[in-house]
Amino acid sequence: QSTIKWRMQTYAGAALAEHVVKPAIDMFNTIAGDRMQIELFYADQLVPTGELFRAMQRGTIDAVQSDDDSMASPTEVTVFGGYFPFGSRYSLDVPVLFNQYGLNEIWDEEYSKVGVKHISAGAWDPCHFATKEPIHSLADLKGKRVFTFPTAGRFLSQFGVVPVTLPWEDIEVAMQTGELDGVAWSGITEDYTVGWADVTDYFLTNNISGAWAGSFFANQGRWNELPEDLQTLFRVCCDQSHYYRQWWYWGGEASLRVDGTKMKLTTIPDAEWAQVEEAAVKFWDEIAAESPTKAKVVEIFKKYNADMQKAGRPYRYG
Amino acid sequence: MPRFILRYIRAIEALNRFIGRIAMYLIFVLVGVLLWSSISKTFFVPSMWTLETAQFVMVAYYVLGGPYSIQMGSNVRMDLFYGGWSLKTKAWMDAFTVFFLMFYLGVLLYGAVSSTAYSLGYFGMEPFDFFWGLLKTLLTEGPGATGEKLGYLERSSTAWRPHLWPIKTILCTGVLLMLLQCLAELFRDIGRIRGVEL
Amino acid sequence: MSYEMIAIVMFAGMMLMLMTGQRVFGAIGFVGALAGLMLWGTGGSEIPFSAAMKLMKWYPLLTLPMFIFMGYVLSESKIADDLYKMFHVWMGPVQGGLAIGTIGLMVLISAMNGLSVAGMAIGATIALPELLRRGYDKIMVTGVIQAGSSLGILVPPSVVLVLYAMIARQPVGQLWLAGVVPGLMMAAMFILYIYVRCRIQPHLGPVLPEEERNVPMSEKLRLLRAGLLPLVIFATMMVPFVNGWTSLVESSAIGAMTAFVAAILKGRMTREVFETSVRSTLAISCMFMWIILAALGFGAIFDGLGAVKAIEDLFTTQLGLSPWMILILMQLSFILMGTFLDDTAMLVIVAPLYVPLVGALGFDLIWYGVLYTITTQIAYMTPPFGYNLFLMRAMAPPEIGLRDIYWSIIPFALVMVLALSLVMIFPEIALWLPDYVYGK
Ligand code: NA
Ligand code: NA
Repeated sequence: QSTIKWRMQTYAGAALAEHVVKPAIDMFNTIAGDRMQIELFYADQLVPTGELFRAMQRGTIDAVQSDDDSMASPTEVTVFGGYFPFGSRYSLDVPVLFNQYGLNEIWDEEYSKVGVKHISAGAWDPCHFATKEPIHSLADLKGKRVFTFPTAGRFLSQFGVVPVTLPWEDIEVAMQTGELDGVAWSGITEDYTVGWADVTDYFLTNNISGAWAGSFFANQGRWNELPEDLQTLFRVCCDQSHYYRQWWYWGGEASLRVDGTKMKLTTIPDAEWAQVEEAAVKFWDEIAAESPTKAKVVEIFKKYNADMQKAGRPYRYG
Repeated sequence: MPRFILRYIRAIEALNRFIGRIAMYLIFVLVGVLLWSSISKTFFVPSMWTLETAQFVMVAYYVLGGPYSIQMGSNVRMDLFYGGWSLKTKAWMDAFTVFFLMFYLGVLLYGAVSSTAYSLGYFGMEPFDFFWGLLKTLLTEGPGATGEKLGYLERSSTAWRPHLWPIKTILCTGVLLMLLQCLAELFRDIGRIRGVEL
Repeated sequence: MSYEMIAIVMFAGMMLMLMTGQRVFGAIGFVGALAGLMLWGTGGSEIPFSAAMKLMKWYPLLTLPMFIFMGYVLSESKIADDLYKMFHVWMGPVQGGLAIGTIGLMVLISAMNGLSVAGMAIGATIALPELLRRGYDKIMVTGVIQAGSSLGILVPPSVVLVLYAMIARQPVGQLWLAGVVPGLMMAAMFILYIYVRCRIQPHLGPVLPEEERNVPMSEKLRLLRAGLLPLVIFATMMVPFVNGWTSLVESSAIGAMTAFVAAILKGRMTREVFETSVRSTLAISCMFMWIILAALGFGAIFDGLGAVKAIEDLFTTQLGLSPWMILILMQLSFILMGTFLDDTAMLVIVAPLYVPLVGALGFDLIWYGVLYTITTQIAYMTPPFGYNLFLMRAMAPPEIGLRDIYWSIIPFALVMVLALSLVMIFPEIALWLPDYVYGK
């Protein structure tokens, strides 16, 4: 019996993938041995990230790690992947929303319609600004060309931010060629890990989302061909990958704020930042009005955040 | 040479020349978009659409200009041996190897059509059937019904979110014209082998 | 098929296809598409097209048509004529002075455009006939123009360094600055070679006749003003870029526009010049873009089939070489491949294989960018296949034959190898300026 071979492409470049996906895939390959091997490719390596969904759905690539937003998935849930503004406060919110508040079922249904298997969603880091110039107020954001996720960009454009989408691997160079003034794509751990801390000087401590929601996906046909134990092994490795990121980001965010030397921290006062949070409430309603499925997801987000509010500390402060 | 082949060559070359000569001026559109980008960035709020628009223009520029560039003979060849051959030998070799080029363009066209079908919301494996169905609906039931047959229209994964079917359609058109141009080149080479310059 | 086998078959297939003389993009695209259909499995047929979307997103490519247009406007409108006259008058009295002046001209042209095409066109159409008429040796002057025009990609702005920057993920600004000193050093070495050679063999580069040398000082000074134009064009492009006011692609558009406006103001933008510049820009841009399109598709399929891993494995573990040996071997293989492969294709196919490896071996990638550029310059010039050789053949007057062109290259290629070795041994030559400006 010959070895099953999969090609998997992640949305992350090599430096980031070293943490967010490679350990899990290495583990999978070690355990699966001769039965199955997954070859991992990085951002834009085989196909550009914008074509990732199509390539997986068509079978050019067997599996994908990405958020729904960046890979432009043609589903009702696309806007909620990546950074949905203020959808979550902590990275633990994401798995709770998926496993206990019913997002898994919705995602599963939506992706089944388009020939793709949604395997598992997990949390990444919060969404902060890293910029060349300091940001002390909302006015400082005006006119800044910023690399960010599509939906986050749509939301931020009302504050004068000019969202730019470029291939992930080109961001560092784009900062230097002046194509970009900053990134709103990650927390500080990623800024240091992937080298963006070397090309930016300031880190804004306010965030527009506490955790990025990203998932592992596979081509439906290819997934169905796998024997059950390999499917289970793949799920276990995905979960391991989610777990790794929980502590890697959580610890990294704190320690780099405290000990990092490459970026100066700036903050927009809470009272002013409240405008952004208010705008997010409006944005949620706009999105909910677009379709029944979106309305359902927004409802879940609202219910979840209300519950957390009621639960009080440490779930929500103030 | 049969008359229709001559007519084919004339028609395709005229068409490609016409389209190529329009595409050639896109360089000024490109300069304009990028200049506007720098002006708006310096004096006003930078525009969200400039970089992506410039990219679309660049694609249209090279893909629609491609067949005309073939006519101008500007696509380099490795002429280590080729350069030393007689016109007739070149024609023989080209008449043969142009099929490799057309194979590549064919695969490119297939990918382009399939990707364009996807951008119009078709997720199946038979893109040509999809377009055939669209065409039939358009002819029998009119544009309204055709619109309803379209699915989720693909948008670029940027904040500006332009639809992608226009640029993908341009790519399909350009590659198809490129194929037709190569067929004309093949006929010319067959002519040369028989000793006529078409 | 094993990874090694796939790598060998695909590379050999490409070489074979190239030998047939079919258009380069067709040869590369065919091998990639065929491998995609036969070896990839489901969906392999979609990759050549997805390369088109990749190319679209590769934003620095927007500079390519800009720099090409700029080059054609400069050469077609003959606004470089005055520049040539300036060097002619000032350098005429020196032994071999016109040839030395031509190198100076090439340096200025290089500062105004990102490719070697414009330098070649200006050199072949303006300088070459004049030099031949004054009894300069045809083999030497042919070499002078080819060597001089190759500076176009080393002296900023440089399209090759932009593409390299994208592949190596290195800052364009630093790479461009890193090219300045080696570029000027190489120009100085060319000049030294010409001067010494003409001292030894005066018939190769005769001094201008008495009556032509008698130019009044006022006229000489007036001509010096011609040198301002390149400075203005260089400044409108580079100052906003270096200061971060405009981005790289925006700056290239400003440069193209400045050259265009300058030609209009000088009254040189005739209908014919306009037509030729616009049409040739399309022709050359299409040539580059279609090759890059085919090469990106080839590269993705090559990578996805595991052939990239095979090559990395060969260099790092199987051959068991030291980092420097690997580096030198790579440079040699570039020169060797440059005899078969088109330069753009080489950049898009081979550089992505080598550059990460160079980084992994611990070498500085800015420094390597300069080494890479000089090496490709040598590769472009060396027979039998070199883009510069083609251009030269197309543009040179009929009395210059293929043999002359081949012979003319040898001494200059040797000078370039010497320059390459110097930069290899003394990395500071390249790194001093970027370190100084960006204060590393
Ligand atoms: Na992130
Ligand atoms: Na240059």
